[in-house]
Amino acid sequence: MNACIEVKDLTKSFNGRVVVDGITFHVEEGEVFGLLGHNGAGKSTTIDLLLGLKKPDCGTGTIFGLDPRTNRKAIFERVGVQLQSSNYQNNIRVDELCKEMSALYKKPEDYHRLLQFFSLEKFEKSQVNKLSGGERQRLSVALALINKPEIVFLDELTTGLDTAARREVWRHLKELKKKGTTIFLTTHYMEEAESLCDRIVLIKDGSKVTEGTVKNVIENSPYENLEEAYLWYMGEEVTQ
Amino acid sequence: MKRFLKLYMIEQKLALRSSDMLTFGVAMPVGVLILINMIAGSKQAGAGFTYLDSSFASLIAVGICASAFMGIPLTIADYRDKKILKHFFTTPCSPMWILGSDMLCCGVTALLSAVSVAFVSVVFLGYKMQGNVLAFMGSWLLTLVSMFSIGLLMASLCRTVKSVNAVTTLVYFPMLFLSGATIPYELFPSGLQKATGVLPLTQGIKLMKAVSMGAEIENVWKIVMLLVGITLICTVVSVKTFRWE
Repeated sequence: MNACIEVKDLTKSFNGRVVVDGITFHVEEGEVFGLLGHNGAGKSTTIDLLLGLKKPDCGTGTIFGLDPRTNRKAIFERVGVQLQSSNYQNNIRVDELCKEMSALYKKPEDYHRLLQFFSLEKFEKSQVNKLSGGERQRLSVALALINKPEIVFLDELTTGLDTAARREVWRHLKELKKKGTTIFLTTHYMEEAESLCDRIVLIKDGSKVTEGTVKNVIENSPYENLEEAYLWYMGEEVTQ
Repeated sequence: MKRFLKLYMIEQKLALRSSDMLTFGVAMPVGVLILINMIAGSKQAGAGFTYLDSSFASLIAVGICASAFMGIPLTIADYRDKKILKHFFTTPCSPMWILGSDMLCCGVTALLSAVSVAFVSVVFLGYKMQGNVLAFMGSWLLTLVSMFSIGLLMASLCRTVKSVNAVTTLVYFPMLFLSGATIPYELFPSGLQKATGVLPLTQGIKLMKAVSMGAEIENVWKIVMLLVGITLICTVVSVKTFRWE
């Protein structure tokens, strides 16, 4: 296995408040990697730093061994990104959004196939605003895959979805994993991490608390499932 | 280039789909044109020119006013708020693509507005420009570019959709009503004429009006220099202060 993402001592503070505090981890090719933590733990900032959207105070983040701040074009032909709570233009239709995103890449995937893969083909001519939460999230994953990426970043993908819609998104992600795509996701749903992730990193107040396979992480705690183990690592009361 | 055009075509489709810009930028000046013509079209507004002669250039400028002070800042603020600009950073393309295509869309709206006003004036109202048409187009373009730079500055300095909305209202309506774009400048009392002279659009309209009426223009180079200066300063400041999110 080769590491395709490497993060070393990544640190960032805003107005004197340390948001990401010396985080180190790596992601291997073909795995589903989960970055877990409470709201405000620094998950999105870590992704922003890793993607080169923000400049780290110190430390490095590389993708395919390249610094995203200086190799943006090369990296983003091969990496797909879905940002947390992103929205789309008013009045835009699904097919128009797909065409617009396709236009940004040299060799885009046929978007009809992606829509089909995510069971969205019947919405091709619908307005994006009219889709349900689950349909819109599936669309945002489809859009993140439009450049046939080797790595896809999904930030808080299923926040706000009901259980059925969330499971539908999971099913698609599992199929994606079978195809060999590396998936980097952040979530604060432990059930989601347990169902999807090969390896996880838990962060609290910007620092890494633990890392390993889901099984390791549970075994190293006094508890039986990830949710309780997570709360224990976070230093909170576990109520049985 | 082909990929940029694809992106632009979709943004243009979206711009035409939302009727705001067509209403404020195109239908309104044409409506005012017809209204002015019905009320006072052939009346003399001054020595040797009619109200139609005088208001032609101003109404051509309404499209510029709408796209520069509403279209540009509102679209950019909206896209920033929706993280669309940020998303472009995670693609091989620069966010300049989407900014560029939206500026182009706004330019097309202004052009559409100008063409509609000119078409109705010439074909239905028998308007004939006394001045040089090419020089008029040049003055239109200069006004367009300088006003767009102000719109860009508004988008850069305002951080939220709310503040852009407020600033748009504060800039758009005074410029629309006081610069002579809709209400003929000649009707203002001289005190108000002097006061509204500070509005950049007033200067642009003065220039376009003078060129369209073939009048000897005092201070023409002063106005041109002023508009070029506005463009340079606003562009530099907005590029320096621009925030993607």
